[in-house]
Amino acid sequence: MQVRKRCIPTGQRKGFLTAMQSNYESAKEEHLASPAPSPGANAKRKLHPSVDLQFDRTWLHQLQDRVDRNGPWDDWTMYQLAIEAEQSKLVESFDDLQCLRSLPSFEPMPHQISTARRVLHEMSGRAILADEVGLGKTIEAGLVLKEYMVRGLVKRALILVPASLVLQWVRELNGKFGISAVAQKKEHSWACDVVVASMDTAKRDPHREKLLNQDYDMLIIDEAHKLKNKKTTNYQFVNQLRKKYCLLLTATPVQNDLDELYNLITLLKPGQLGGQSEFAANFVVDKRLPKNEDQLQEALSSVMIRNRRGDGGIQFTKRIVKNIPLSLSAEEQALYEAVTKFVRDRVDESQGDWSSLLSLVTLQREVCSSRDAVFLTLVNMFKKTTEDSPLRPKIWELVEVIRGITANTKAEKTMELVRGMNDKVIIFTEYRATQEYLLQYFRNHNMVAVPYRGGMNRGKKDWMMDLFRGRAQVLIATEAGGEGINLQFCHHMINFDLPWNPMRVEQRIGRVHRLGQTNDVHIYNLCTVGTIEEHIVNLLHEKINLFELVIGELDHILERFETKNESLEQRLARMMLESGGNQEQLRMQIDDLGNSLSRIRDEVELEEPLDMSAINSVMNAVGQTIEVRP
Amino acid sequence: MNERQIHKFVQRYLETTACQIIEKSPAHFQVKLSPRADRDLTNRPYYWSFVDRTGADPETMTMLFVTDKQKYDQTQAAEETKPAGGPVSAADAALGRSFGYINGTALNTNIRVPREDLYFGSRRLNQLFESARSGGNYLCLFQEPDKRSAHPLHSTAYSAWLGVNLKVEFACDMKREEIHSFGVSLATGQCVEQFHNRLLQHRMTPKLPPNVHTAKNALTLNKAAAIAEQTLERKLRTYDYSWAQAAAERLNEELATIGHYYEPLLESADDENKPLIAEQFERRQEEIRWQYEPRVTASAINCGIFYLQGIG
Repeated sequence: MQVRKRCIPTGQRKGFLTAMQSNYESAKEEHLASPAPSPGANAKRKLHPSVDLQFDRTWLHQLQDRVDRNGPWDDWTMYQLAIEAEQSKLVESFDDLQCLRSLPSFEPMPHQISTARRVLHEMSGRAILADEVGLGKTIEAGLVLKEYMVRGLVKRALILVPASLVLQWVRELNGKFGISAVAQKKEHSWACDVVVASMDTAKRDPHREKLLNQDYDMLIIDEAHKLKNKKTTNYQFVNQLRKKYCLLLTATPVQNDLDELYNLITLLKPGQLGGQSEFAANFVVDKRLPKNEDQLQEALSSVMIRNRRGDGGIQFTKRIVKNIPLSLSAEEQALYEAVTKFVRDRVDESQGDWSSLLSLVTLQREVCSSRDAVFLTLVNMFKKTTEDSPLRPKIWELVEVIRGITANTKAEKTMELVRGMNDKVIIFTEYRATQEYLLQYFRNHNMVAVPYRGGMNRGKKDWMMDLFRGRAQVLIATEAGGEGINLQFCHHMINFDLPWNPMRVEQRIGRVHRLGQTNDVHIYNLCTVGTIEEHIVNLLHEKINLFELVIGELDHILERFETKNESLEQRLARMMLESGGNQEQLRMQIDDLGNSLSRIRDEVELEEPLDMSAINSVMNAVGQTIEVRP
Repeated sequence: MNERQIHKFVQRYLETTACQIIEKSPAHFQVKLSPRADRDLTNRPYYWSFVDRTGADPETMTMLFVTDKQKYDQTQAAEETKPAGGPVSAADAALGRSFGYINGTALNTNIRVPREDLYFGSRRLNQLFESARSGGNYLCLFQEPDKRSAHPLHSTAYSAWLGVNLKVEFACDMKREEIHSFGVSLATGQCVEQFHNRLLQHRMTPKLPPNVHTAKNALTLNKAAAIAEQTLERKLRTYDYSWAQAAAERLNEELATIGHYYEPLLESADDENKPLIAEQFERRQEEIRWQYEPRVTASAINCGIFYLQGIG
């Protein structure tokens, strides 16, 4: 069928049309727009002094096309369904939270909802979310993102986070918000609508160029205090990105200096606090002492929200730490010495260039864990050497020593401990091989133990958790990082061996000692006397006082320590090699290291509450206090 | 949309796309998708391009759509506890799995049927929405006559209408939407609102019914569309635009704020840095316009030519 184009003769219709026509005329006079749709796909007219009305006319061309060709035509039911779908998705008002009705799997807390509302309605989508740790900044950002997506204001979003948090973000956005976020892995991942990537990847070429050529409807940056310094590549990169809405997430908007706050806000909204010199003149007395607090607070409150924990809400139970000194059996001691000698010989051969040998120290640490761990490392080392390498027979000698070992002192002690506490317990070890050994050891002694490690996929991890929660008394884990292992129901943990990176020790403890833990947490550190392990336990426990630090404090200590030096782990390994087996020298060096760490700790503990109070009182005024019930 | 509405929506979708419903309850559908639905819903573009190129017989997926999760899980749980021995067996099954046993009674040995919970806001339901939208764009339909025409030689006059459902978006840094449905008679130029509801009162068919003749069109589609647009525009003019006013004010304030920041910076910059700062200033201004500029846009959800009884 054709729609015929004809003029109409009857007077009545003509009258109607002339009426319409005159409408067009008046339209013409007012807006200089042509009455009939122009051939272009779009038309713009002024609707109000401050707003244009724009018609998208692609539909008309499509329809005309189909009329001319007599089809193809679509289905009537689908047509109705399409309308119904649109009606159900319709956003009827400017200011309600539409996203709440499409989040069936969880319910945000009231302060998270009110924060999202403020970001949307008072801050127009550019804000610093500065809640204290644990109040759910991610949730708040997710709510804002989801709301904009539901309203069709955001399609493309870029989320930059530390590498260790990428998967967690992806999981939260997908699981809680039904947002199809993708972790950036390959080059083509950038083409996805919502991408989560690590800042370090994003700012490097070739990614950098690609991202700078995009327009992002929304940019979210987690751990945004890493942008506090204007001169860093991080800061400059983010400054160059093109974005409409922007959220910066940080629990510590100011760590040292008011300038950090200025930089962060200037990144978000240049001019909000004036130019640099204006800011200094108007608001700064000293690095950590603001003036004109009321005005500063007012300026802050339009870009920043900071909710704080109430004092009553969060009460951590006590940590009870017990070091358990053990003596290696004669055979184990022999292995330790053999390995130490092996390492020392390598160092002597290398004539001072140790950088490639740092990993050898691992061998000594492994002896303190299990013979299986040493064995595996030796085998790998053996495989890497050439057939005629002089190293091969030496490695074999060590393997021979391993053969002599029949029992594991630590494992026996662990079994004794576990039997004694008769309660759920989590055992952490650094080494896969030790984990396997322990699993078998426990199985042979009729005790149900389940493994947990980083390489497991999500489903398997969850299932291991379920088993541990249910019938297994013991969980043996090699990984403490990553969320998902929340073990509030367990309040015993055994450090079968200790990582040299204090953050990882803290992470281990954090699995058990967290919100929702109702019992005091017992921590047992197994420590073999006369080995490197003894030094480490001493360093972490006595010097850093790691096991009793306030949450978050360790971050500050390490940050200060590592800006001056290499990481603590590397430093320790280097000392080991340098000492060349001289126990006394090693002890002195580690003592020095320990003393400088405890000095830093004292500094951090002393200055923190004093200096920041003035800044904090300004910042804390831009939010509410939340009582979190465990 | 509540569970019941979703259920009804899904049922109509499945029926109209000729999917084969294997099993259903008020809380779920188990369904073997039709090729058409499979293309739209299963995210398998590579598979379908393979089928298209090789002409192989497509194997469509079978899916479990749960429209009421709570109810469905309850009935499932009730069924499972009947043969099995209570909650202990679940733990046993879990432990059994760790040693590689498959719990024969709990798992169906047939191929796994992927389960999708369809709740409002879920991705899969949005896909259904999208699919409906892309499959229901342009129509040409005739009203079915109320009753058989008494006289075989009597002919009823029909006239053509342009029907269009327009979505109007009012946006600045926030947004709201309205749907307007217009029908414009191509015979007379008369414009009717709520046209979609009017269509729903009739039975419509893609075939020209017998004993019907269509009136000649006096208007081109272009003109009819212009009439619909004019009607909409006149209506929109009566609205309150204080929101746009406020957004424009915010926009100006923000522009002033960054101007206040960048202008002194530009003045004091040396020749080397000047272009860089100017570019950044320019970009910030663009971003702010992008963020705040008030705008109203109207675009069609779908449209069609509808032949209705009488001369409209």
